[in-house]
Amino acid sequence: MDFLVKFASAFMSVFQAGGANFVSWVTGIIPTILMLLVMMNAIIALIGDERIEVIAKFCTSNPITRYAVLPWVSAFMLGNPMALSMGKFMPEFYKPSYYASASYHCHTNSGIFPHINPSEIMIYLGIAQGVTALGLDSTPLALRYMLVGFIANFISGWATDFTTAFVQKQQGIKLSKELIAKA
Amino acid sequence: MAEYRAIRVEKGSGGFGGPLTIQGTEQKNKVMYITGGGVAPEILNKIVELSGLEPVNGFKTSCPEDQLALVIIDCGGTLRCGLYPKKRIPTININPVGKAGPLAQFIKEDIYVSGVTDANISLADGSEAPAAAAPAEEAPAEEKKGIDTSKKLSEQMAESGKGNVLAKIGLGAGKVVATFNQAARDAVQTCIGTLLPFMAFVSMLIGIINGTGFGTFFSTLLQPLLGNVFGLMILGIVCAIPGLSAILGPGAVISQILGSIMGAEIAAGRISPHLALVGLFALNCHAACDFIPVGLGLAEAETETVEVGVVSVMYSRFITSWIRILLAIVFSIGLYTAV
Repeated sequence: MDFLVKFASAFMSVFQAGGANFVSWVTGIIPTILMLLVMMNAIIALIGDERIEVIAKFCTSNPITRYAVLPWVSAFMLGNPMALSMGKFMPEFYKPSYYASASYHCHTNSGIFPHINPSEIMIYLGIAQGVTALGLDSTPLALRYMLVGFIANFISGWATDFTTAFVQKQQGIKLSKELIAKA
Repeated sequence: MAEYRAIRVEKGSGGFGGPLTIQGTEQKNKVMYITGGGVAPEILNKIVELSGLEPVNGFKTSCPEDQLALVIIDCGGTLRCGLYPKKRIPTININPVGKAGPLAQFIKEDIYVSGVTDANISLADGSEAPAAAAPAEEAPAEEKKGIDTSKKLSEQMAESGKGNVLAKIGLGAGKVVATFNQAARDAVQTCIGTLLPFMAFVSMLIGIINGTGFGTFFSTLLQPLLGNVFGLMILGIVCAIPGLSAILGPGAVISQILGSIMGAEIAAGRISPHLALVGLFALNCHAACDFIPVGLGLAEAETETVEVGVVSVMYSRFITSWIRILLAIVFSIGLYTAV
């Protein structure tokens, strides 16, 4: 009998521990995230998608705007995964590179701007939660995540130009570097 | 008498639904606007001009439902936005409101479009079936009628004169409020739809890990990897191996679990918070490798581009992973070192 009781209470304690964790996340994380999401959604709706497209067309000409500025702005304004759609303004050859950069931007910026990628936010929040639990401010972490990401994502995007050239040769395909006007 | 042309209405920025194709007929020849207490919305002119429909002010008079080809509303998401879709009358909402209100289930893409401005309205090219049945013949004579109608409208606007300033402010404020309201609705939906389920799922895992003592075992297992710079570097590079990176990707579930575990370890004092930034980059090296074809599809890439891109991005992820982590290590200098 004692064994059964012990087993039952151990069984329940697993879910109580899980529940306690859940509650701490819901009360600690959700309220702030929710307010941020409301504000960001509203700002994005008020600015509108059309203006972003104007910026996008402007940014395709050189690597810096292509892999650092445009993906950053797109991630902020459109979030994951719609930020990736801005690649449509690129010549075919640069689309993989833009993807490489923009998809990273949807992660590295999510520390400060959780609206960008709420469904995968726990990578950042999981770690940040640990830092907060020690009584430390998680803002420096979020800020560094974004700034280092800005540099690293640019490198990752640009590096893809070279791997694309390599794979292109390997597969015997040639992708256009010119922008073909779409009807 | 009058001729009717099909118009195409797309959703505006932040809007929902559509595109709708509206085609007036002899019987269904009216567009009713129920906006701003009876002030004609800006888009009405263009709609009337293009389609040849007859405008009706829903606040002044009513109109039998079987004569309505289209309804224009400015509902903030309470009731009206669902009312006409429920009756299957094509509805334009000039506020960017999605499925909302008590009749939300009737608001569907094929009968409702929102956030519409002048720029979203055009003549249909005829390639899409009209939402309202029975096409009518086109005739050149209709242009005259279009202009006449619009003149009448502008006269109407001029007549009401200064009252319009107030109405405009009211409409503007209403739009801002509606936008925020919709933003809040979307945000709550995100929390309920994606955040809470994931939190519950990971919390249960953490409960099992902590409650069974498995955590101590598991963390001694992962400690060598998560607990120091070299381990994190190895973890990042291994996760980014082409092929493996695509398997580890979906939903970032593995990364999110590892992130949560690393956080728990940091909170427990077993891993230094100094490593937090390096951890973030290490867990993210393979980000979105599973998503490449879809992502390139969103960018309207050609088939060859996708073929090349999938391999290319996986290679570049692998090649740059160590650079990213190295950058993170360098920029971790001074981060939480006092602890």
